Amino acid sequence: MGIMGLALAWETRIAPAVQQERRVEPFREEVAAPARAVEAAGAEDAALAAACRSGDLHAYERLYALHGARMKNLARNILGSSADAEDAVQETFLKVQRGIGSFRGQSSFVTWTFRVLVNTCYDARRSRLRKKEVRTDDEQQHDDAAPWPEPRAAVAHPSLRLALERALATLTRHQRDVFLLYEVEGFHHAEISALLEISEAASKNALFQAKKNLRQMLEPPRSSSAAGAR
Amino acid sequence: MNVTCKDRDRIFEDGSASEWAALESHAASCASCAEELRAWKSLSLAAAELRDYTESPTLWPRIHQALVEQSATIGDRRIKWGWRSLFANISVSWQTATATALVILLMVSGIWILRRPLTTLPQQGSLLKSKALTEVEHAESAYVQAIDKLAVEAKPQLENPATPLMANYREKLLVLDSAIDDLRAQTGQNPSNAHLRYQLLAMYQEKQRTLEDILEEKR
Repeated sequence: MGIMGLALAWETRIAPAVQQERRVEPFREEVAAPARAVEAAGAEDAALAAACRSGDLHAYERLYALHGARMKNLARNILGSSADAEDAVQETFLKVQRGIGSFRGQSSFVTWTFRVLVNTCYDARRSRLRKKEVRTDDEQQHDDAAPWPEPRAAVAHPSLRLALERALATLTRHQRDVFLLYEVEGFHHAEISALLEISEAASKNALFQAKKNLRQMLEPPRSSSAAGAR
Repeated sequence: MNVTCKDRDRIFEDGSASEWAALESHAASCASCAEELRAWKSLSLAAAELRDYTESPTLWPRIHQALVEQSATIGDRRIKWGWRSLFANISVSWQTATATALVILLMVSGIWILRRPLTTLPQQGSLLKSKALTEVEHAESAYVQAIDKLAVEAKPQLENPATPLMANYREKLLVLDSAIDDLRAQTGQNPSNAHLRYQLLAMYQEKQRTLEDILEEKR
């Protein structure tokens, strides 16, 4: 089924109630937070990294409490499955424990952890594709395109979520990652650039291209809109 | 700030707060930009549908267990490879410099070991062999000269043998000379062959004894 088949009119998909749930920030500025808050966040990040480096398992628990849900959500959006997402999060924590010695603090500890997570997710995707190489070409093409999202907890607009997931799956890896990190997980471009090891300009451009492509895929066919208008 | 429809994509990609505000103002009087702006914002709202932060009660216990097991393994490995922690406090640049120095040292040692047998040993062997050979040849030459002196003394008896015994001695010396010539030819081709040298010495000794016997008969 094509993406257009799932397209709904924007008005029906975005109900006013939903719009109130989250403040729309299309021009979310990379505004500098108050210096004291930045310092506090930096200090907490450094303390968390130091505690993890010393092998303190409570520090890992704190890391999970602060970012575990976001990590699992990001992994699920990349992998399309809750079970795979949980495996990826677990593997990420193990990799962090193994590799904490090599963390030199070029980026924040949390950003580094999310970078490990994104790489782990793509490793898992590649491994899953390799396992399915024995399938026929048609099936393989289908798999290469994207993971097929599994049903999730009830949401306000299941059709919209499904359409969005399928549209996201057709984006390039960079566009998808930046869209998920910025729009879904709320990272800033500066954080995304450190996380994906790209420039801020590249992050902004990838987001722009992602949204442009998503809009083209999700908007209703022009002809039917025009007919409806008439 | 005035913006036009042409500025829209640029502002969508990397617009400042003031540019966004100007675009909003422009959209109030431009239907096309108003629709684009609304659709753009709707995508951000739609992204919320992909947020599912429901707690998984089994995930942290699972991760905790895996971390405990791994930390035990890491602990064992640290004990086993404890000496490696010495390198942890050395900066990467020093580690690289040390590794480079070790590689250069190994290369130099390797080159020295490989070159040594080709250059030094053959020279030493050649000197020893040539020295020993010279000594043997000197001794042989002196021995031959001494035997030749005996041969000169015995020559009159051998040229005109008065007795059958003397004729036999003559025949024996001809055979010995022939054998000596053969052996000398062989030692000329292979001068360092000790076995040939011993055979030649034996022939010379036999010739010496024969000549001494001839001279004894003369007296």
